[in-house]
Amino acid sequence: MGFAARFSAALRSFFALLFSGRMPDDVLDRFRPAQAAAPAPGAPPPAAPPTDEGDRAVQLLAILQRDGRLVDFLQEDIAAYADAQVGIAVRDVHANCRAALARYLTLEPVCTAAEGTGVAIDAATDPARVKLVGAVSAAARQGIVQHRGWQVARIALPPLPRLEDRRIVAPAEIEVA
Amino acid sequence: MSSPRYVVGIDLGTTNCALASLDLATETARVEVDDIAQLVNVGELAARPLLPSFLYLPDDKDFPPGSTRLPWNTDDSAVIGELARRRGAERPGRLVASAKSWLCHSGVDRTAPILPWGSSEDGLRVSPLDASARYLEHMARAWEQQHSGERLCDQDVLVTVPASFDEAARELTLRATAQAGMPSVRLLEEPQAAFYAWLDLAGERWRDRVKVGDLVLVCDVGGGTTDFSLIAVTESEAALALARVAVGDHILLGGDNMDLALARLVQQRLEQAGHKVDAMQLQALWLQCGAAKERLFEEPSLDRQPVTLLGRGSRLVGGTIKGEVLREDLNRVIVEGFFPRVPADAEPARQRRVGLQELGLPYAADPAITRHLARFLMRQASDAPGLDAIRRGHGGLAAPTHVLFNGGVMKAPALRDRVLETLNDWLAAQGCPAIAGDGVLDAPDLDRAVARGAAFYGRARRRNGIRIRGGSPRTYYIGIESAMPAVPGLDAPMKALCVVPFGMEEGTEATIPGREFGLVVGEPAEFRFLSSTVRKHDAVGTLIEDWGDDLLEQEPLEVMLEGQGTAVDQVVPVRLEAKVTEVGTLELWCVSRDGCQRWKLELNIRERDR
Repeated sequence: MGFAARFSAALRSFFALLFSGRMPDDVLDRFRPAQAAAPAPGAPPPAAPPTDEGDRAVQLLAILQRDGRLVDFLQEDIAAYADAQVGIAVRDVHANCRAALARYLTLEPVCTAAEGTGVAIDAATDPARVKLVGAVSAAARQGIVQHRGWQVARIALPPLPRLEDRRIVAPAEIEVA
Repeated sequence: MSSPRYVVGIDLGTTNCALASLDLATETARVEVDDIAQLVNVGELAARPLLPSFLYLPDDKDFPPGSTRLPWNTDDSAVIGELARRRGAERPGRLVASAKSWLCHSGVDRTAPILPWGSSEDGLRVSPLDASARYLEHMARAWEQQHSGERLCDQDVLVTVPASFDEAARELTLRATAQAGMPSVRLLEEPQAAFYAWLDLAGERWRDRVKVGDLVLVCDVGGGTTDFSLIAVTESEAALALARVAVGDHILLGGDNMDLALARLVQQRLEQAGHKVDAMQLQALWLQCGAAKERLFEEPSLDRQPVTLLGRGSRLVGGTIKGEVLREDLNRVIVEGFFPRVPADAEPARQRRVGLQELGLPYAADPAITRHLARFLMRQASDAPGLDAIRRGHGGLAAPTHVLFNGGVMKAPALRDRVLETLNDWLAAQGCPAIAGDGVLDAPDLDRAVARGAAFYGRARRRNGIRIRGGSPRTYYIGIESAMPAVPGLDAPMKALCVVPFGMEEGTEATIPGREFGLVVGEPAEFRFLSSTVRKHDAVGTLIEDWGDDLLEQEPLEVMLEGQGTAVDQVVPVRLEAKVTEVGTLELWCVSRDGCQRWKLELNIRERDR
């Protein structure tokens, strides 16, 4: 499985868990813990994978936390705060996370037409790239763009940290007086 | 050395370094600014337009093992650049900052491991010289990574220094480059480099912008220092020529002071509102206020810019404090505080002399850059020899016709306008025409103009292109004790013998006439050494007695005569010879009567008694 696909799965899992509380089905299927066929007798045990599937996801979280405090924000119970207080913090979190994202990856719309404009659809329209909604019939040839979608055009994450540090999203901070 | 492929300009700055190079193999090549690879986070190397001049000395509590190695270096005893600055804000006791300001501070031993200054942490220390050498070495390796197969030490390298750097600081800069593996570099003054960057941009059209008799003020306000120079447009063989006719004193005052002043104001306000701002949050505030300042200067329609201090614990939203920088603050603190509209005869406040002063960097006592500028322009009372008189108002003010701004601070249009308004007030009061809008010479990319200009100059030098005549930026003297009976408690009065005149050109020598000194073989001899940026008429051999505060005492010069076939204790009569080297430093030699034996006088840059 290529990096882009892993990345997409990781990112989708992250946001799906965050907003709907469940993992996407295809991710669950793909990454179901191995009910693996027993290794053929005599075959060498498979070498430990150099990077675990989750490492890059944790790394991206760590970057968004380091630069933009995203995890602190998401993990905090903000119900009690007034909108104004949330707003103050969010501006900073937003600006810094946005800058961090821009540094390590380039996001661009899947569909280049502007939202609200009409586009042609045909049999070759790929459901992974374009989700058709409404009165979708086999004869439909045209639709209105509601959301342009997002895709990652470039990704350049820094090297992973040491193996034993790859589950650390943010180190604890202790001040010595 | 085989002929170099590139000329490389290195701006070794107080808070940021920059690098630019020019390919000599292509006739029409333009100056390219080189981004500098550096650690920007733990384990993450990236190229950035500037290398922050910060050195962090980690111990095993700082970073996971191996995470701060560079591709060219397995030594991870120090981190340089963005990560150093960031980590240093969290643990200041291990951060070396402003090494360049220490390099020109004669009150300390600049070759001794004294940095981080005043740190209570034990651990590694480095000297201002070492820190500078490390920055240079880092830039060399980063440059070599981008130019595969080339070594920086094989190129024609120019390192820029403030025009106000004295001889010792220039000498130390050269030692730092040698320590970084570049034994043959040249020095170039930063305001001149900025001017070359403008020449590069203007191309041949520069001749249409200025005419004979014009005087260009270079006003360079960087992160940590303020540096002024005057460049006169003259005529030589029926063509326009340029000469640097004045340099200012070293002023430790710059953008960092301004950002800190804003941060203090915001801190005060937050504390009045009942919030507590700790030392680390003040650091964050400092950075944010700098960004807010730039934003407000760029965008005149904004009247305020928020600064937020996110809660330090994981209680992010609950702990967040919001402050703001108002346009009014900017006007009051920065424009009026650092650039007040003062009269031309305003004098900057003098350093307070407190009985017991904490020994640290000698920051300027007066934050008003315009007052320092007034003093600079008023003090240029004497003209450089060999030049037409520089333009002057009837009150004696050197009267520029053009201004060239340089340094990050001068990017702000409001500050440029204020400097221009103030200058024009002075010019009007002195009966001189004002500097119009086209009198502002625009250099591009003020953060990196100096590195660009240095590379451009390197090529101009090789191809006999246009050059600014500079020469020695100061007049230098040797102190001679008067032959008078000693009086207890008083030093014997001192006279000063001029050994290097202002503007003495690179690659020339002078013998100091009419005076011999007796030196004892086998014993160190010390000469007091003085300099002046304002006395420009003294010729070699001039003896002066009363100089008010025109002369500044430098580090002493030392020489030790090794007896070559001469008995120890014997007195050898010597005369003095001065030389301004091609590299841009000066050398003083003792020469025996027969001219056969020569001993070089060395600056004693160890700690000076205060």
